[in-house]
Amino acid sequence: MLLHHSSSPVNETSTAHSAASPEVFQQLGQITRQLHDTLNHLGVMSKLRQSAVGLPDARSRLSYIAMKTGEAADKVLNAVELAKQEHHGIMVTTKRLAATLAADPRQASSDDVIDFVAQVEAATGRIDLHLTDIMMAQDFHDLTGQVVAKVVALAIDLEDSLVKLLVQAAPSELAVEGASAELNGPVVNSEGRTDVVSNQSEVDDLLASMGF
Amino acid sequence: MNDITKLKFLVVDDFSTMRRIVRGLLKEMGVVNIDEAEDGTVALAMLKSKEFDFVVSDINMPKMNGFELLKAIKAEPALRHLPVLMVTAEARKEDIVLAVQSGAAGYIVKPFSKATLEDKLLKIMLKRAAAG
Repeated sequence: MLLHHSSSPVNETSTAHSAASPEVFQQLGQITRQLHDTLNHLGVMSKLRQSAVGLPDARSRLSYIAMKTGEAADKVLNAVELAKQEHHGIMVTTKRLAATLAADPRQASSDDVIDFVAQVEAATGRIDLHLTDIMMAQDFHDLTGQVVAKVVALAIDLEDSLVKLLVQAAPSELAVEGASAELNGPVVNSEGRTDVVSNQSEVDDLLASMGF
Repeated sequence: MNDITKLKFLVVDDFSTMRRIVRGLLKEMGVVNIDEAEDGTVALAMLKSKEFDFVVSDINMPKMNGFELLKAIKAEPALRHLPVLMVTAEARKEDIVLAVQSGAAGYIVKPFSKATLEDKLLKIMLKRAAAG
């Protein structure tokens, strides 16, 4: 966002300003219509509607994204834990049979070997199911990706319109660069930025330069 | 502090997924004693009521963020010896510098690998063992 301001001065000054400027009202009406149309559009996309029955409006689709990604992460972690347990079982059984064979090959009966093969076959079958679950859990990406794209497009359109409106309505001294003291979260694009690091090795270099 | 498997860890992150991932990685390293907290306030209460050897903390959290937790730990005589490893998506250099100046033992940016976490933990342990 290019423009940053405190709310009260803008409200006071822009009230007086906009009273003399019908274009501002016209533009505000245009933005409202744009927002209304885009939110409606978000609500009627058939594929998303099928996947998110019951979500009443576009705003709740953001909660939907959080929910779908959270569910997918849990599903994957659960499947990984179960697959690792199976894997651990195979490892223990294999070690036991290997130890028996190494100590005295004659002690390992054909029944032991047949049991081992059956256990491995069953366990690998279950592991394969867990891997399939992990693969299927990624379906959230398709659904949420579409919602994100729509919300981003809406945000860009709104920002453009609001910036135009503010440039038109706000006194020039209020048009200042925004600066946030908040925590920023993940850096989506670090290209051309010198104030952020883009990977762990840059963190390590920075820490090393501080003698850390 | 030379056997990671015997250490008691507190993992602090507001996202349960990330807590599970860090817990999973620590378990793969052989760590058994792992507790979790969803923000700095809960973490601080746990640190005051139970003994821990290591804190792995996110920064961007509600109620009490990672910087505030770090400062609270370093301000508390009974806790200030605890190594705190920051694991965070905050990638601004000023945040990294602030973390180190506030007493963080290390800083990892997300997304990270198991190797990075293991490497940082072992380096912190070695450094502390050398310092006595």
